[in-house]
Amino acid sequence: MKRPVIALIAFAIIACLPLLGDNYLLRLGTMFAMYAVLAQSWNIIGGYAGYPSFATAAFFGLGAYTGAILQGLGWPMPLAWVAAGLLAAVFAGAMGSAILHLKGHYFAIASLVLAEVLLEVTTSWTSLTGGGMGLNLPIIRMSIAAQARLFFWSMLGLAVLTFLMSWYVSAGRIGFALRCIRQNEDASSMVGINTTRYKVVAFVMSSLFVGAAGALYASWVFYIEPPDVYSVMTTIRPIVMTMLGGAGTLLGPVIGSAIFLVIEEVVWRNFLSVHAAVLGILIVGLIFYLPNGIVGAVARRFRKRGAEKGET
Amino acid sequence: MRSYMKAWLLAVASAAVFLAQPAVANETLRIGAPLPLTGPLSPEGLKQQRGYDLWAETVNTAGGIKVAGDVYDVEIVYVDYESQTPRAVQTAERLITADNVNFLFAPFGSGAAKAASSVAERYQIPMIAATASSSSVYDQGYQYLFGTFTPNSTLTEPLAKIVANSGQDVSTVAIYARNDLFPLAIANEMKKSTENNDLEVISFDEYAIGTMDHASALTLMLRSKPDWVFTTGYINDLILIRRQMADLGIEPKVLTMIAGPAYQEFIDATGDHSNNVSSAAWWHPAVSYDGKDIFGSTADFVAAFEAKYNAVPDYAEASAAAAGAILELAIEQAGTIEPTAVRDALASMDTVTFYGPVHFGENGQIDSLEPPVFQIQDGKAKTIFPEIIKQADMRFGGIE
Amino acid sequence: MLYAQILLNGLVLGGLYACISVGFSLVWGVLNVINVLHGSFVVLGSYIAYFAYAHFGIHPFFSIIIAGALLFALGYVVQLGLINRVVGAPVLTTLVLTFGLDLLLNNGMLLAFSADYRSVQLADPLGSAVVGGLVFPLDRLVAMLLAGVLTGLLYLLLVRSKIGRAIVAVRMDREAAALMGVDVKKIYAITFGIGALMAGAAGSLLSLVFPISPLAGSEYLSIAFIVCILGGLGSISGAIVGGIVLGLIQSFGALFIGPQHGLTIAFVLLIILLIFKPTGIMGRRGYE
Repeated sequence: MKRPVIALIAFAIIACLPLLGDNYLLRLGTMFAMYAVLAQSWNIIGGYAGYPSFATAAFFGLGAYTGAILQGLGWPMPLAWVAAGLLAAVFAGAMGSAILHLKGHYFAIASLVLAEVLLEVTTSWTSLTGGGMGLNLPIIRMSIAAQARLFFWSMLGLAVLTFLMSWYVSAGRIGFALRCIRQNEDASSMVGINTTRYKVVAFVMSSLFVGAAGALYASWVFYIEPPDVYSVMTTIRPIVMTMLGGAGTLLGPVIGSAIFLVIEEVVWRNFLSVHAAVLGILIVGLIFYLPNGIVGAVARRFRKRGAEKGET
Repeated sequence: MRSYMKAWLLAVASAAVFLAQPAVANETLRIGAPLPLTGPLSPEGLKQQRGYDLWAETVNTAGGIKVAGDVYDVEIVYVDYESQTPRAVQTAERLITADNVNFLFAPFGSGAAKAASSVAERYQIPMIAATASSSSVYDQGYQYLFGTFTPNSTLTEPLAKIVANSGQDVSTVAIYARNDLFPLAIANEMKKSTENNDLEVISFDEYAIGTMDHASALTLMLRSKPDWVFTTGYINDLILIRRQMADLGIEPKVLTMIAGPAYQEFIDATGDHSNNVSSAAWWHPAVSYDGKDIFGSTADFVAAFEAKYNAVPDYAEASAAAAGAILELAIEQAGTIEPTAVRDALASMDTVTFYGPVHFGENGQIDSLEPPVFQIQDGKAKTIFPEIIKQADMRFGGIE
Repeated sequence: MLYAQILLNGLVLGGLYACISVGFSLVWGVLNVINVLHGSFVVLGSYIAYFAYAHFGIHPFFSIIIAGALLFALGYVVQLGLINRVVGAPVLTTLVLTFGLDLLLNNGMLLAFSADYRSVQLADPLGSAVVGGLVFPLDRLVAMLLAGVLTGLLYLLLVRSKIGRAIVAVRMDREAAALMGVDVKKIYAITFGIGALMAGAAGSLLSLVFPISPLAGSEYLSIAFIVCILGGLGSISGAIVGGIVLGLIQSFGALFIGPQHGLTIAFVLLIILLIFKPTGIMGRRGYE
C-alpha cells in the first residue's frame, strides 16, 4: 500500500515542474509523461500477462490520427482525445479477440503487423489522412507558455490515470489472473480462469490510454505523418523502458521511463552520429546484466539480505 | 642597408601583430541545425551538413564575422532528429532554450521545416530553410522563416514549356510519384504545368514509400506508350525505377526524374541508363554569379567545395552553404546579432550570392531565382535552361 | 500478354523475396529466435559484393562465396558469444537483444559506408531478353536461379550431412538431441552462421538489383517477416512458397488495385492468415 502512495506523491511533485519556467524542461516532462503512459500500458499485456505485444505503435498512431481528424472537424481538444482513446480500445478489443489465441512469436508478429496495416491504410487513404503529406492540426489560440503547461499537465494526468489503472490491475483479480496466464496458461484455464476474456481485457487496457496519448501528442506537435506515429520505435521504446524498470511490477515502468528518458537525452546530446549504436549497447547490456529490471534487481538484493538475516 | 633594416623592422612588427591577434578571443555565434543524420533521410541530412560545414569553415578561416567591433567565430550545433518530424520540432526548441543558439537552420524538407517553423516563430529566432520548396510551408504568415528554394512550379513550368514547344510531337504524359510530401507535391504541380501547356496526362499513379519493385506499374506504362514519363521520388526509388524501365524496355521520348539526377550518385548508380534523363533543380554548378558573399563567384564556391570534399556540389549542398552565406550577409547588414534586426535585414535583403540573386518575398520564400533545367548527356549534367547558362540543347529520344 | 508479363514479374520478384528469407526462416525454425539482424546481414552482403567489384573487379555472382564465408563467421561468433546466453529465454528477450545488436550493426554500417545509395555497375550488364513478346530481365533471373541453387545446396546439407541431420534433430527436439550427444550450443551457432551466410549470399546477388544502403536493411527484414508467415515458419519450402506468393500478390495487386496498395494487400492477407492458419500456407514441417 505504501509504494503506490509514494509514486502518487512523486507525480504531484513533478506536476510543479512549470514553476521552474523552463520550456525545454517542460517539454522533457511532457515526454516523460508520455513514455510513462506507453510503458505502463504495455506492462499490462507484456509484463503481467507475458504476451509479447508489439501493438503500441498501432494504438498510438490510430489515436493520433483519430484525434487529429476529429480536431480538424472542429471537435474540442479534450473530446477528441477521449474519442481517440475509445476508438483505440474498440480496435484493440476487436483485434485482440482475433489474435490473442496466438502464442509466442506468432502473437508478436500479428501485433506488429497491426501497426503495419494501419500505416499502409493511413498512407494510402489520402482524402481522409493527407497520406504521405501528413496532417496539420488547427492552431490553438493560446500563449506559448500556457500551451506548454496545458499539454504537460494533460499528459501527466494521463500518466496518473494509467498508473491508477495499473494499480487496480496489480492489486486485483485481473492481475492475479494475468500472472497465472503468464506462469502457465493451460493450467490457468483448467482451474477455471477465463483466459481469453482476461487476455482481451488486458489488451484493451493496454490500448485505451495509449490511443489518448497519441491524440494528445498530435495536438502537442501540430503536425503528424504516418511513418512517425506508426514508427517501430514507438513500439520498442516502451518495451525497453519496462524491461529496464522491471516488467510485471507496478513501479517498474514509471521508473524505467524516467531513466530511459534521461539516458536517451544524454546519449542523443553527446553522441551525434553513434547514438543508435549506444542505445543498442544499452539494450544488449540490459538483457545480460539486468534481466529483471531495476525493481527486480533491488527486490532481489532485499530478499537476499533478508535471507542472510534469517540465517544468522 | 637602411632598406634592409626597414624590411626587418616591418617583419618583426607584423609578426608581433599577427601573434598578438589570438589574444583577443573571438566570440562565438551559435547556429542550431537539426538534421536527419540517421534514418531514411540521412543521405539528405549529410548533404546539408556538408554545405553548412563548408560555410562555417570558410568563415572561421577568414577570421570570423565582424559585427560592430566584435568578431564572431561560427559554431554550428548539430542535432540528429532521426528523420522523425516531431523530433525535429522538439530539437528546435531544445537548441533555442538549452543550447542558446542565435539562429536556426531548418530541418530537411518541406514537412519538417513547416513543423519546426512554429518554434522559431514563437521564440522569434530567424530560421533559414535550405530545402523546403512547397508554398504551403510559407503561407502561415510567419515572420521569422526564410527559404532558399523557389516554389515547385518554378521547376515544372519551364520543363513543360520546353517539351511542349520543342516541335518533337510529345503529347502524352505518364506521371508516377512517390506518396510522400515533396514527391507528391511536385507531381501534382507537374500535372498542372502539363495541362497549362496542352499536354495530356494519360496516367497518374502513386507508389508507396519503401516500394521494392515497380515492374507491374511499369508494365502498364509500357502498354500505354506515353511520350513523356515523369517520375518523382528520392534517389533510391529513381535508381530502381530507371533500372526496371531499362529491363522492361520502356523508351519514352522524354524521361524526367525529380529529385535524383542532380546528384552524382544517380549517374554512378545507373551508368549509361542515366543518359538523356532530364530533371530540374534549384541550382546547378554551371550557373555563374558574381556573389557579394564570402564565397564570391559560383566558380570559387565550386572550387572550394571540391577542395574540401573532392566532389562537385549539388543543389542541396549549395543551398545549405548559401543559407549560411545569406545569414552572414544579413548579420553584417544588421550590424548586430540581435535576432529581430537580423530578421529585418533578411526580409529587406536584395543582393547577389554565388547561389544566385537573393531576395525574399513577403512570405519569406526566395523569389529571385530561376531554377535551371538540365539533362544528363554523355554522363554529364548539362544545363538546358535558362538561356544565359545554357550548355546544350535538350535531346529527345535516346532513353534506352 | 499483359497477364503473362505480370505473372513473370511476380515470379521473378517472388524468387528474390524467397532468397532474402531462407536464412531468416531457418534461424527462426531451429533456434526459435526472430533475428532482427537479418536485414542488416543482407545489406552487409551487398556491400561486400560492391567493394569486391569496385576494388578487385570480382563479379557479384562470385563474391557470394566471400560474402557467405565472412557472414558465416560473423553469425557464428554472434550466436556463440551473445545470443546463446539467452537462447532459452522468452521470445521478447531474444527479439529485443537482436534488435539492440541490429541498432549497433546498422549504425556501424552507416558510419563506415555512409547512407548514400550505391549500386554495382557491371562493365557489361546482362540486360534483358525478349522471348515471345515477354520481357525477361536477365540479371534478376540469373540472381534468382543462383539463389535457387544455393537453396538446393542448403537443402542437401540439411538432409545429407551429419551436421545437417544434427540441425534437424535439434529443431525437432532439443532435449532428445542433447541426450543423443549433440552439442546443442554449437549446432545453434552453426545454424545461425548458416542463416547469416544465406543472408550474405542473398545480399551479393541483390547488389545487382537493388540500390545498396544501410537503410535498406529494415525493408529486407520486413520482407523476410511477411514471407515466413505467409509460407510457414522454418521450412525451406515455406520460404519459397511464401516468397512467390508475396511476389504475385504485389505484382497483381499493382495491376488491379494500384501500385501504392501492393504492401497493404500483403499485410491484410497476412493478418487474415495469422488469425485462421497461423502456421502458414505450407504448415509447420521439418526439412524432410
